Amino acid sequence: MKHLIPEFERMKRRLPPGHDATLLLPCLRRIQEDRGYIAGDDIDGLVAYLGVPRIQVEEVLSFYGMLRREPIGRWHLQVCHNVSCSMRGAERLLDHLSGRLGIQPGETTPDRRFTLSTVECLGSCGTAPVVMVNEAYHENLDAADLDALLERLD
Amino acid sequence: MPVIFINGEAVDTGEHRTVLQAALANGFYVPHFCWHPELSVVGNCRVCLVEQEGRGVNIACNMPVVDGMRIETDSETVRAQRKAMLQFILLNHPVDCGICDKAGECALQDYHYAYNGEPALSREPKQKGTKFYPLSSRILLDNERCILCSRCVRFTREVSKSNVLGIEYRGDSALVRPAEDRTLDDDPYSDNVIDICPVGALLSRSFLHQARVWYLEPTPSVCPRCARGCNVQLWHRKPEWRLKGLDPAQNTRILRVTPLENPRVNGPWICNRGRDLGEVLERPRAEQALQKGAGVTMMEAIEATRALMAESTRSIALVSSWASNEELRAFRNALGDNFTSFVKPDRLPEEGEVVEDELLIRADKNPNTRGAQALFGSDPPEIPEDADLILVWGEGVDFGRLPRGAKTVFLGSWLLPEVGHADVFIPLSIQTERRGHYTNFEGVVSAFESCQPRPEGVIDAETLFPLLAAPGAWGRG
Ligand code: SF4
Ligand code: SF4
Ligand code: FES
Ligand code: FES
Repeated sequence: MKHLIPEFERMKRRLPPGHDATLLLPCLRRIQEDRGYIAGDDIDGLVAYLGVPRIQVEEVLSFYGMLRREPIGRWHLQVCHNVSCSMRGAERLLDHLSGRLGIQPGETTPDRRFTLSTVECLGSCGTAPVVMVNEAYHENLDAADLDALLERLD
Repeated sequence: MPVIFINGEAVDTGEHRTVLQAALANGFYVPHFCWHPELSVVGNCRVCLVEQEGRGVNIACNMPVVDGMRIETDSETVRAQRKAMLQFILLNHPVDCGICDKAGECALQDYHYAYNGEPALSREPKQKGTKFYPLSSRILLDNERCILCSRCVRFTREVSKSNVLGIEYRGDSALVRPAEDRTLDDDPYSDNVIDICPVGALLSRSFLHQARVWYLEPTPSVCPRCARGCNVQLWHRKPEWRLKGLDPAQNTRILRVTPLENPRVNGPWICNRGRDLGEVLERPRAEQALQKGAGVTMMEAIEATRALMAESTRSIALVSSWASNEELRAFRNALGDNFTSFVKPDRLPEEGEVVEDELLIRADKNPNTRGAQALFGSDPPEIPEDADLILVWGEGVDFGRLPRGAKTVFLGSWLLPEVGHADVFIPLSIQTERRGHYTNFEGVVSAFESCQPRPEGVIDAETLFPLLAAPGAWGRG
């Protein structure tokens, strides 16, 4: 996380003094973007850099489902299973992916290519069902679309 | 000062800034879980609902006082919404009051009877949680009973500043947890969270399943373990609940120690050392007067001491800093002319103990150094080589370092090696067997009451000193 400090410093300058703890969430996001997950030494680094008690970092990490403490596969498949997507067959997509990849939601394939997760509403109900692959949305999917998609992911 | 109307009555809100404070201070009870007078306002339990005319229902703990506002604390709307709130709070609660130590002094139980009283409306299975999660060697956490009011968390952040606790995860998976690399053992004030937890989620391991609180009563006392002199309550069985079948010691034992609020001394807190008073007070007692290690009657021991006093030309007294103001005065009045007196510390910091901090704990581990020094000066003890009689009152003196030729009289309460080394030993009562006062390091005087019977063969120092001065009083007193 040390190499990100200049960036954090720039964010700090936009805040009134004494509010460093506010940076906790943006810093965590940035670290995850950079390294893929948040490691123990990142937490220690933030505790020292922001001067917040460690428990406060742990609270934030456990509160937000999208912050990870473990590395994941190269492709993160996040299947929305909230109301609209469910009604349009999200569970079938999930089962299909589970079957093809041989893993359950929350797991990573042994070759570390794919991690499968479920998420709540991605805000794209109009094009349900939706699967997010890393940062990209794939909409209006059925099993055949998924198979085609998987072919394109190395 | 703003005036507001609570249930139609005009109330001068004085210094109070919120409706909850103004209401409580003026005799209008508004239930509350998360609000605590010494902690920040979080407003998360939503049970302190009140109705403001023209603005509807909202929480009183975070409602600023505004001149002329009209508040109802018990309108039909308030009652209905409070009831609904209690349904939510009990949603995942196991209602295991039957095996819960907090039963009888639990806010959730009391509010349920007072404001709800109905079975759960929910048909969903209850969320399970960890029971008996060890937060430290002293405290267990029952996550099913926890209502997530966050009082314990705020205590460790705002009062003790150990920052150990937090609330992890969210919604009905939320859990109070210590930081991964910490336990509540890092917090010398941790046990206060047991008291401020409004429910039975935080449990004292030493008190776990020891007694039903309604069989107990508190006696006001003062913690003697440092110069702060925190006011405490010593909890023991009520006299009417003493059982013949119980070991007599169990009937009078101190089962737990809690703070007795005193804004001039300790506020509503005490440190964990104060909770463990038994470590000191319940050490094996010396209950037999001795002369050179051999048992004698109290009268013989007093006579022997008088004989030593009569022979002596250079008598030194090392006065106890654990003695009450009353005992110290009795000593000065009866024997002040017979001895050159110095105040000595009875106890010093122990290994591993917090020596001093910014909240309560003081480096002087004696309750009445200031009271004793007021009568006997603050010069450190200095024992001349030609001293021929040394009276040692209380523990903390190494007899091996006293002048060889001097006779020794030891007044003490516990079975310490010195008991047998002294020429005369007289056993004294302890703090829980008599009443008295201590003066703390800031000069505040606090009273303690007796709650345990004085063992036979033990004498109160206040009775002893006049007898040492005039034995004729023996038998009359
Ligand atoms: S353990 Fe007790 S004090 Fe702490 S959050 Fe839960 S109910 Fe509140
Ligand atoms: S701070 Fe001192 S007087 Fe208060 S409870 Fe602790 S040891 Fe006792
Ligand atoms: S429910 Fe899936 S995007 Fe809204
Ligand atoms: S006491 Fe007001 S919301 Fe908890």
